[in-house]
Amino acid sequence: MAAETRPVPLVLPRRARVRIRGGGLSTLVFLIPLLLVFGVFSWIPIGRAVVMSFQETNLVTPSTFVGLQNFRDVLADPLLWTAVKNTLYFAFLALLFGYPVPLVAAVLMSEVRRFKSLYSALAYLPVVIPPVVAVLLWKFFYDAGPTGVFNTILGYVGIGPVSWLQDSASVMPSLVLEATWAAAGGTVIIYLAALTGVSTDLYEAAEIDRASIWRKVWHVTMPQLRGVLLITFILQIVGTAQVFLEPFLFTDGGPANSTTTLLLLIYNYAFANSLGGEYGMATALSIMLAVVLGLLSVLYFRLTRGWSKS
Amino acid sequence: MKSLTAAALVVAVGLTACSSTDAGKQATSTGPVTVKVARDPGLDKGAIAAFDQRVAQFEKANPGIDIVPQEYNWTATTFTAQLAGGTLPDVFTVPFTDGRGLIERKQIADISGLVGGLPYASKFNANVAKAGQAEDGKMWAVPIAAYGQALHYNRTLFKQAGLDPDKPPATWDEVRTDAKQIADKTGKAGYAELTTDNTGGWILTTLDYAFGGRTEKLDSDKATAELDTPEMTAVLQQLKDMRWTDNSMGSNFLYDWNGINQAFASGQVGMYVSGGGNYGSLVTQNALKPVDYGVTVLPLMDKPDAGVLGGGTLATVSAKSDDAVKAAAVKWIDFYYLKKLTDKDAAVLDAKTTAASKQPVGAPQLPVFDRATYDESLQWVASYVNVPQQQLKPYTDKMFDQQLVTEPVRSTQEVYKLLDPVVQAVLTKKDADIADLLKKADAEAQALLDRN
Amino acid sequence: MSRGILSPADWRRPRVRWTAFGLHGVLLAVLFVVGLGPMLWLAKAAITPTQDTLRSPLALWPHGVDWSNLATAWTRVEVDKYFLNTVVLAAGSWFMQLLVATTAGYALSVLRPRYGKVITAVVLATLFVPAVVLLVPLYLTIVDPPLLKASLINSFWAVWLPAGANAFNILLVQRFFDNLPREVFEAARVDGAGPFRLFWSVVLPMSRPILGVVSVFAIIGAWKDFLWPMLVLPDPNLQPLSVRLPALQKFVEFDVFLAALAISTVIPVLLFGLFQRFFLNSGALNGAVKG
Repeated sequence: MAAETRPVPLVLPRRARVRIRGGGLSTLVFLIPLLLVFGVFSWIPIGRAVVMSFQETNLVTPSTFVGLQNFRDVLADPLLWTAVKNTLYFAFLALLFGYPVPLVAAVLMSEVRRFKSLYSALAYLPVVIPPVVAVLLWKFFYDAGPTGVFNTILGYVGIGPVSWLQDSASVMPSLVLEATWAAAGGTVIIYLAALTGVSTDLYEAAEIDRASIWRKVWHVTMPQLRGVLLITFILQIVGTAQVFLEPFLFTDGGPANSTTTLLLLIYNYAFANSLGGEYGMATALSIMLAVVLGLLSVLYFRLTRGWSKS
Repeated sequence: MKSLTAAALVVAVGLTACSSTDAGKQATSTGPVTVKVARDPGLDKGAIAAFDQRVAQFEKANPGIDIVPQEYNWTATTFTAQLAGGTLPDVFTVPFTDGRGLIERKQIADISGLVGGLPYASKFNANVAKAGQAEDGKMWAVPIAAYGQALHYNRTLFKQAGLDPDKPPATWDEVRTDAKQIADKTGKAGYAELTTDNTGGWILTTLDYAFGGRTEKLDSDKATAELDTPEMTAVLQQLKDMRWTDNSMGSNFLYDWNGINQAFASGQVGMYVSGGGNYGSLVTQNALKPVDYGVTVLPLMDKPDAGVLGGGTLATVSAKSDDAVKAAAVKWIDFYYLKKLTDKDAAVLDAKTTAASKQPVGAPQLPVFDRATYDESLQWVASYVNVPQQQLKPYTDKMFDQQLVTEPVRSTQEVYKLLDPVVQAVLTKKDADIADLLKKADAEAQALLDRN
Repeated sequence: MSRGILSPADWRRPRVRWTAFGLHGVLLAVLFVVGLGPMLWLAKAAITPTQDTLRSPLALWPHGVDWSNLATAWTRVEVDKYFLNTVVLAAGSWFMQLLVATTAGYALSVLRPRYGKVITAVVLATLFVPAVVLLVPLYLTIVDPPLLKASLINSFWAVWLPAGANAFNILLVQRFFDNLPREVFEAARVDGAGPFRLFWSVVLPMSRPILGVVSVFAIIGAWKDFLWPMLVLPDPNLQPLSVRLPALQKFVEFDVFLAALAISTVIPVLLFGLFQRFFLNSGALNGAVKG
C-alpha cells in the first residue's frame, strides 16, 4: 500500500452553485466515517511522523526528543547516497524504457481498425497479474545459469549467458525491465483514451495543408498529448521514487547494495535490524523524501490545473 | 475482551463486527493457561504430525496448559517487526548473538527463577550458558542447541564429478580444486556461499576464523573491529579466485539460509558452509534425499588461532507473559527442548515419536551440557537413529577435536549485516577491490562498535 | 467510424496501407509474446516436473505432464486458504472505501456544511503526502491504536481501516456528486425525504457509474497490496497470497511453487476476461484525463 502511487485527478471540485445548507447533526453523522478513518489513519500518523523524526523511539522506553540528530544520522549514512543514486538510476532507466514504449504502442494501436480490443487486452494483461506473482515468475526467467529461461532464448541467437540479477551492473536494468513490463499496459490505456480525445477537425485541417503523416503525428497528435505526457511523466517519477517491491523481492537490495532504494532503506531502518528499529531515522528519511515528492506533486497539480482549463 | 474490542470499534467506526485474534490473552483467568509456542515454518506433513504428538504428550502430562503452535523462525529482517508488533509466540527462539541485547533491553521475560529450578540448571556448558545470561549471571534465555560450522556436500554430485564422496576436502585448496571439478563435470555450483539476510557476514566471519583471524578484539570495555586483516583478505581472495578464475560457484550469489538449503537439497550445489546440525531442516523443510547428503568438518588453516565458529539457539519467553504463562512456558521449554538431552525416558519418548513420523533422529549437534551427558543421550536413542550415520562420520569423527570459537559479542548481527555487501561485491563485481572493501567495512564496523 | 491520424485518403494509398498493416502485424506479434508469453510459459511449467523445467525451460514436456503439481499446490501450499484471505481483505477494503467515499462525498457535495471547505482541503492535502511517510507511524498506530486497548496487528481491520483513508476516492466521488442535478435533490427534499433517505434512495442509485470505478480501483489495489499486509499480518493463517507466496518459495518444491503461481494468476486473468471493458475504461480513467 505504502509503495503505491496514488493516481491523482486533474480537476479540483467545482464551487457550489445552489446553496442548500445541511449543517445539522445528520451532516455530521455522514462525516463520521471520513473524520475517524482519516483522523486515525492519515492525519494523526502524518503528524506523528513529523514528531517522530525529531525523537528517539524504541517502543520500550518512552520517546525522547533528540533535535535534528536523526536527520544528521541519515545524512551521515553512506548508504543514503547509494540509495539516492540507485533510486535516481531506477527512475532514469524507467523513463528510458518505460516512457517511449507505451507511447509508440498507443499511437500505433489507435490506428488499428480490426480487433482493436485484442490489442489493448494483450497489452493490459501483465497489469492484471498480481505484482508479487510477476516478480517471482521473473525471478525464474532471470536465472543466471545457461539454462535460465531468458538465457536459453538468448542462447538460440548465440548471446550470453547474461548474469541478470547476479551482477552489480546488470541488476538494475533487469529490475526496470520487469517493472516496465508490469506497468506499461496501464500507460498504454491512458494514452489510447487521450488519443481518442484528439479532435478529428485538427487532422482534417492539417490535411488541407497537405501535411504528411509524420507531420500530423508531430504537429497535431503530440501537442494534443502534451498534458497527458506531462502527467504520466510526473506520476512515474513519484512512483519510481517509492519503488520497493522489485528490489525487496528480487534482490533485497543486493548484490552489494546496488539495488538498495530509498524506500528499501527506510524499511531497513525501521524493520530489518534484529535488535530494535531505528524508527526516528526511518521517519526522518521519509519526511525528507516526502518534501521532495510533495513539491513534485504541487507542480503536478498546477500543471494539470492549467491543462484542464485550456 | 472480545466484546470490549468490538464495542470500541462500534464507537470508532460505526460498524458492528470485529475479529481480534489476540482476544482473551491479557485476561487473568483461572482456566487453562494458553501458551503459544514456536514451530518451524514449511514443515512437511510428517514433521507437523510429530510436533502435534509431542504437544499432545505434553498436554496430557500437564492438564491446565493449552499449547498452541505458531509458525515462527528467526530471521534478522523480520524479527524486529514481530517484536514491535507483539506478534511473537510466547515461547520463541533467537540465536546466541541476540540473547544479550534482548536481555539488556528487557525485551524478553526474566525466567531465571524458574530456570534455576530445573534439575540440570547447573550443568550447562559454561560457554553455552553465557549466551543466555544477563550481566549478573542470571539465565533469562535457555540454550537449547549449539552448533559448530561444518562443510556440507552433495555425495551424488561428488560421484558424478569423479570425486570420492568418502574423502571430502580437508583443506581450502582441496575445496577449491574439488569445487572446480564439480563445476566442470556437472555444470552445478561446486561451492556456494550464503550472502543475504546477515548470513553473508556470518559465513565470512566463519571463514575468517577458519583462516586464523578474528573480527573483533575486546579490551576490557573497548571493542575494536578487525575486519581489514590478512586473514580476511585471504578469505575474500579465495572466494574471488573460485568465482572469477575457476567459475566454480554457480550463477546465484544471493542466497539466504532457506534459499541455499533449498538449492542444496535439490542438487544445485556441491558444497556449502553452514551449521553442522542442518541435516534435520534439510530433510523436513527442503525434502533432501538422504542418499545425497554428506558432511565434514570445516577445513582449518594450519595456524594456532584457526578455529570453528560456534553458536546456538536460545529459547526465550515473551516479555508480555504473566506468571502463569511464564511457568507453563518454561515447562514447555523443559519438555520439548531440554529434558530429552538429560533424561532417558524423555529422550526415548522423543526419539520414538520423531522416528515414527519418519523424521530424522540422530543428526549431529554440539552438546548443550557436558560431553558425557551428550554421549550418554546418544546411547539412549541409538535404536531409533535413522539418519545415514556412515555419511555423517567425516564430521562426527572429528567435530570434538576442533577448536570452537564463539561468535563476536558486540553488535554481532549489525556487523554481519554490513559484511553482506562485501561478500556480494566480491562475487558479483569482477573488479571488486578487496582491500578497499575491507577498509571501508572496518571503519563502518568501528563506528558501530563505538556508538553502541 | 471515427478516424485517427490516418485519413481515409491515407488508407487508400497502398504504401501507407501496407506499412500500417505490417506495423500492426509486428505489434500484435510482440504483444502476444510480451503479454501472453510469460503466462503461457507459467501454465506449461505448472504441469512440468522440476528437473525438466530446470534443464530445458522451453521444451514442451520432454518427460510427460505432471498434473499432480496442481493438486499438491492446492493442498500443500494451501492456495485455497490464502486466496480466501485475499478475497476477504479485498472485500473489506472495498467496503470501507465505498463507505467513507460515499458518505463523505454526500456530506460535502450534497449537504454542503459551512465547514465543508475546510474538511475538503485537509483531505485533499493528504494527496500531496506520499504514502511512504505513513509507513512507520501508521504501523505504530496499528500496534497501539487510539480508542482501542488491543493491537490491531494480525487483524483484518489493520488492512481494512487504513484503506478507507483514500483521498483520491473522495475526490472522484465528490466531483461526480457535484455534477448531479441539484433539482432532483430539491424535489426529493420537497417530497419530504430526510437526509438519510435522500442518500440511500436518490443519491446512491444515481451514482452507480462512479461507484463502479471506485470499486475497480479498490479491488485492484487490495489485490496488489504487499508491503502493508506483510507488516500488519505476520500470522500466516491470515495472509493473502501476495504475502504468502514469497515466504513459501523457500520451502516448496520448484514445480509445485510454479503451479501455485499459475493458480494465483488464473483467477485475476479470468476476472479480467469477464470484465475487460470495465477494466480498460477504469484504467483509462486512472490517468484522470478527460477527453
